[in-house]
Amino acid sequence: MKGNIIKYARDNIDTDVIIPGQYLKVHDYAELATHAMEGLDPDFHSKVKEGDFILSGKNFGCGSSREHAPIALSHCGVKAILALSFARIFYRNSVDGAFLLPIEIDQDAYDGISEGDEIDIDVSKNEIKNITKNQTYKMKPFSEIIGKIIAAGGLFKYKPDQD
Amino acid sequence: MGKTLFEKIWESHIVVTKQNEPDLIYIDRHLVHEVTSPQAFDGLRMNNRKVRRPDLTIATMDHNVPTSDRSLPILDQTSAVQIKTLETNCKDFGIKLFDINSPNQGIVHVIGPQLGITLPGSTIVCGDSHTSTHGAFGALALGIGTSEVEHVLASQTLWLEKPKTFEVRVEGKRSNPHAVTAKDIILSIIKNIGTAGGTGTVIEYRGEGINDLSMDERMTICNMSIEGGARAGLIAPDQKTFDYLQDREYTPKNYESLVDSWKDTLKTDSDATFDKQFILDINDIAPQVSWGTNPGMTCDVDEPIPSPDEYSNGDANQKKGAEKALEYMDLKSGTMIEDIKIDRVFIGSCTNARLEDLIEASKIIQGQKVASSVNAMVVPGSQMVKRQAEEMGLDKIFIDANFEWREAGCSMCLGMNPDILSPGERCASTSNRNFEGRQGNGGRTHLVSPVMAAAAAINGHFVDVRKLDLN
Repeated sequence: MKGNIIKYARDNIDTDVIIPGQYLKVHDYAELATHAMEGLDPDFHSKVKEGDFILSGKNFGCGSSREHAPIALSHCGVKAILALSFARIFYRNSVDGAFLLPIEIDQDAYDGISEGDEIDIDVSKNEIKNITKNQTYKMKPFSEIIGKIIAAGGLFKYKPDQD
Repeated sequence: MGKTLFEKIWESHIVVTKQNEPDLIYIDRHLVHEVTSPQAFDGLRMNNRKVRRPDLTIATMDHNVPTSDRSLPILDQTSAVQIKTLETNCKDFGIKLFDINSPNQGIVHVIGPQLGITLPGSTIVCGDSHTSTHGAFGALALGIGTSEVEHVLASQTLWLEKPKTFEVRVEGKRSNPHAVTAKDIILSIIKNIGTAGGTGTVIEYRGEGINDLSMDERMTICNMSIEGGARAGLIAPDQKTFDYLQDREYTPKNYESLVDSWKDTLKTDSDATFDKQFILDINDIAPQVSWGTNPGMTCDVDEPIPSPDEYSNGDANQKKGAEKALEYMDLKSGTMIEDIKIDRVFIGSCTNARLEDLIEASKIIQGQKVASSVNAMVVPGSQMVKRQAEEMGLDKIFIDANFEWREAGCSMCLGMNPDILSPGERCASTSNRNFEGRQGNGGRTHLVSPVMAAAAAINGHFVDVRKLDLN
């Protein structure tokens, strides 16, 4: 999966800045998407392209349980969030609705990847290639459980392995 | 080896368990509100599914209801549609709804316990992160997203990864419990463990400092577990818990025998171990005031605002976060908290809008007036809290002091109803999140206890309530 990086070099990006509360009344996902990251970065919509990845620090998606947050980002074309760590509700929401991939990275990847870099994520090898800089980093593998929900295509499609 | 309270509740709710698969957990109570449920009901309709247990599902409207005169129409059309949609969904699927005119309407996490819907040892979910509040009763209460809401509606179960366990032990006694409150205890905990300190865990709050708390205070503690990153917060039930739930409207008929069984089982065994531990001594803690844009950015009321270097301990992102927070909050390092002037005061939210919160705040303001530069409001957590407060005459105390006395709802906690801050306005708020724009675009939030908020309203700036005569 290839895409370019939009980097927010900070911790604790909360779901209120990803999609401010006033838009939780919006039922139409395309319209919801027009307000994504409005609380954080007014230039987000001029930057974001289909297939992009967001890179950020610790505790990404903390705060409110609003599933509108991964929905709004995914409807802007964002395919994955790479972060040093995730808040759990955002993490599950991203996977449950198969909206985007929450990928935990280490400090080397965080420091090494810059805004605009072209990245290739290979989930089967747990590898992140920085095509722009010709570097390779490890991603933290999904837990077996989360990996299965992702592979199934979301919570409603998941069934436990049959013996 | 013994088991923790969390492990006991978890294991007693497993429907399916297999190695390297999530556990399928049975859900005893599902609380629903207008904001995170519409897409879930749409999903049910699309797949021709029913609500499996409408009798275990309870709904109310709280997030975007206006808190002004309830006889007037809702002016915001998108809010009106969302409220109407919940009414239709509850009618179509046979779910009990406490609507905007119900005497039981209120913030979902305030009404659950008040109505006896929240029970010890049960599993409770709601499409709201502050569901952790119900953990004060020894329930495993999890905030979930809308996909999971749909899954619970359809199946009364959830696929969950078993969280780790985290003991937060609160030791000692507060010398002045009217000035140093449960809010100050939980803000101190979050300041110490950090906003991600509890990630992937269920916290059990234990120790003398927790046992001494009332049920209203315990709810304040558990409510903000999510602000420390935890999946849930728990407090083992005791006689206070059992007394609180006695004779509530929805308390089960066989309550006495339930209490007998809970007394034996709903506690952490003495030889159980936790994955993680943090100890807070509360003998000397001060009232807390947040200065930044997450609840971990908090200091004592008699301290200056720290510098980004002091706050960050050498972590580059933390330092940058503190710099950005100070810029957003228009504050400077070194400024004493008591010198910060405020424009608005909000006493409300699922954290601090229960009866005891209003009683304590009213003692501060009795016979005084809100500073002329301040606009202050009280939003009871439920219509029941409002009625109880009015029976005690608290409404008169607040109104005489020039506070607005409102109808129940989430109100100014989250900026999605008419109660919002204007850009640049600074608010002393009893709510739970001081994120950028949380209370309205450009608004600046300082998280405090109800007594700290009340004292700030009277003085126009923060004051150390330990200096006041509060007994």
